[in-house]
Amino acid sequence: MSEATGSEKREAGAGLMEYSPEGLMPFGPVHPALKEPEYFKLTLEGERIVDVAPRIGYVHRGIERAAQDRTWVKNVYLFERICGICSFAHSIAYAQGVESLTEFVIPRRAKYIRLVIAELERIHSHLLWLGLVGHWTGFETLFMWIWKDREHVLDQLEAITGNRVHKSFATFGGVRKDLPEGIEPKLAQATKFVRERVKYYRQLMESEETLVVRTKGVGKIDQNIARRLCPVGPLLRCTGIERDVRVEDPYAAYDEIVPEVKTQTAGDIASLLALRLDEVEESCRLIDEAMEKLPKGDYKVLFPRAIPSGEAMFHVEAPRGELFYFVKSTGSTKPERVKIRTPTMANLLTAKEMLKGHTLADVPVVLTGMDPCFGCMDRITVFDPGKGKEWTVRGEALRKYGIEYYRRRAGS
Amino acid sequence: MGEMFRTAVSPPVTEEYPFGPAVVSERFRGRLDVDPVKCTGCGVCEIVCPASVITMVPTGKRKVGEREIEVKKPVFDLYTCISCGQCVEDCRFDALWLTKTFELAVFDKQSLVMKKALTVGK
Amino acid sequence: MQLLTFPGLTFFVCVAFLFEWLERKTAARMQGRRGPVVTGPFGILQPVADFFKLTSKQEIIPEFSDRFVLRWGPPLYFAAPAIGLAFIPVVGLTPVLGHPLDLLFVLFIFSFSALMATLLGYASAGRYSTIAIGRLVLQYTGFEIPMILAVITPSILAGNLSIEGIVAAQGSIWYVLLAPAAFAVFIVAALAELEKPPFDIPNAKTEIVGGWMTEFSGSTLAYVKLTKNMSYVFLSALAVALFLGGPSGPVLTQSVLAQEALFSVYFLVKLFAVGFLIFSIRTALARVKIGQATRLFWTVLTPLSLLQVGVALIMR
Repeated sequence: MSEATGSEKREAGAGLMEYSPEGLMPFGPVHPALKEPEYFKLTLEGERIVDVAPRIGYVHRGIERAAQDRTWVKNVYLFERICGICSFAHSIAYAQGVESLTEFVIPRRAKYIRLVIAELERIHSHLLWLGLVGHWTGFETLFMWIWKDREHVLDQLEAITGNRVHKSFATFGGVRKDLPEGIEPKLAQATKFVRERVKYYRQLMESEETLVVRTKGVGKIDQNIARRLCPVGPLLRCTGIERDVRVEDPYAAYDEIVPEVKTQTAGDIASLLALRLDEVEESCRLIDEAMEKLPKGDYKVLFPRAIPSGEAMFHVEAPRGELFYFVKSTGSTKPERVKIRTPTMANLLTAKEMLKGHTLADVPVVLTGMDPCFGCMDRITVFDPGKGKEWTVRGEALRKYGIEYYRRRAGS
Repeated sequence: MGEMFRTAVSPPVTEEYPFGPAVVSERFRGRLDVDPVKCTGCGVCEIVCPASVITMVPTGKRKVGEREIEVKKPVFDLYTCISCGQCVEDCRFDALWLTKTFELAVFDKQSLVMKKALTVGK
Repeated sequence: MQLLTFPGLTFFVCVAFLFEWLERKTAARMQGRRGPVVTGPFGILQPVADFFKLTSKQEIIPEFSDRFVLRWGPPLYFAAPAIGLAFIPVVGLTPVLGHPLDLLFVLFIFSFSALMATLLGYASAGRYSTIAIGRLVLQYTGFEIPMILAVITPSILAGNLSIEGIVAAQGSIWYVLLAPAAFAVFIVAALAELEKPPFDIPNAKTEIVGGWMTEFSGSTLAYVKLTKNMSYVFLSALAVALFLGGPSGPVLTQSVLAQEALFSVYFLVKLFAVGFLIFSIRTALARVKIGQATRLFWTVLTPLSLLQVGVALIMR
């Protein structure tokens, strides 16, 4: 693999800090442990990890740039496809960002429905992650079982929105359809089922020896590291710091149905497991409460095609943490700028900190302990140590540079 | 661990498809379909489609009072369609709806172009 | 001739395929899935289909690997459990190949397998393979001693160093009853040798991709997988011979031929029982880290097996 370091030097402007070839272990970009490609350069001594250098950009799609070419409504569909797992969180963050630029008030029923879907999505995302922990520790059986239970949640999502992953349910002014007839007992049944299974999995996480030794004490961070590196979401809450966007800055119906912020104190992967299980239970409770108190009324208001000019910022609690949208309008039918900062971006460096001192066997578990969603996260920043400056390459410039570079290289 | 043996003897959760029927929900968003009679050629669907599936093509002319205006009807490139349903929602004339068909794999992309709406001219 | 067909090579290759199918099916059922269904009734031909599919694929050997070893190593690796199986009695008390000291040869086969795997991983010289063989060697040194001790125990009880002799000496009281700890240790060590969870550390799919098998593809991989299945059968068969009395069972007919068939049936039944035991354990547990595995081997298994040997000596 010494060819890899050679070709890196030739790559367009991406001169990274050079590591010595021995003990250098590439983790990714394509690796069975990572669901999405990212490149982590691990410096190893035997099996012990000395340093981690993440390199991102492998699944960068230029979505922020694409958003500028599309009208406001079309962008709803664009942004929900940033991530399959936190799709609805992106939807409502964008929708609410845009709604705050206008004078419209969202009907209460719509807010409640948004909450229900958002919490269902949180359950599905956490169950997905929990199953994946099983997969990464070699515990395939746990993986299959949890995903089997997750199907119940996905069935409910499909019954309400029509699709399991890209729900296409939020729109400006509310949600696109009302809840279907007869959904209440089905939802209640689903939450009851999930709650029971959570009890079983909680007991399993604590009693299954092989799982415990893989997760307890692994990837430990404490509050100091958390304050320094600013992770968000469950990664932050597992150190004992109580921060949750739903409580601090309520959106949708969270001001009326208040979630209880769950924390753990240990700061390792085992505590992340327990924390996410707690959050699943909490989401079940929220759904039940919301369905009970569901107000009657409209589920959406009509929206004009052009949005008044202004800037708006909005953040939501996606399953992975704080998802932040910045929307700028100049009064036309297309957005001027949309900037998205996803939770995985904030958690990446903390994951790096978690890995130090551990062995290679812990890498998948820890890296995925932060529940990465690189699809959400990617950006391209170019750092040139020779010139000592750093700049962010715009899409068009990069494209032109790439064409020129390869043309030169091919000698034509 | 007893759970393991219990799961072993209970029926598997895997769905039968494709050896059995596919189970989809009521609101499942599959392939788009159009009613040529209801479609008036207003063109709103073309404007709102996020995937640029719809193209309005001229199909003739119509006399409205003294003027002659061009009538356009939609052609759907269904191989690009993401089944979001925005056009269904925005069509005032209820001419569009999403079916439950999802098996759309073809060898020839052009066979997924739907020109149904061109047939009934006004 | 008998060596090649029944109960020789062909027979055991078929049993190896059957074992893989059984493993996938039971693991799937325990997880709520179906397992192989398409090929043959109940998907029983799936391992065969996989084997032929792999042989039909292009073989890609990285340029930093040792071509010669990668080409000729796998058949050698295959030879180990294949020959070992010839020493296990299937029809009646006499195995196809017998020797008064064949238990030692069997122990040699374990070392040989591990050595070949290490060699193949080393010859691959990929980054993942290198880490994997480090783990493999560590794991091997861990389980070798408990394995040897567990295997010695029945031979102490029988006073004999040949497998045939051990089977004969068991008579109606199987050694699993007299030396249960040895049986347990043997099963655990077998899991380690076969690199199955919780000991699939050298072959950890989500950490080091394929382990020492990463760089293999095409027919080489097909043979390596077949060899792993053969090892599976071999270890289970060894467990049956050493602890469960081999093909012994009630004598029901007078005809020698029918009796031999019946013995084979008993053998197969016990074989699948042991296999099922291993599958269940494998499905139920996660993977442990290499440090924890070695700790387990040295601090738990080795003393336990030593204790068992001591007990056996006393019982003699």
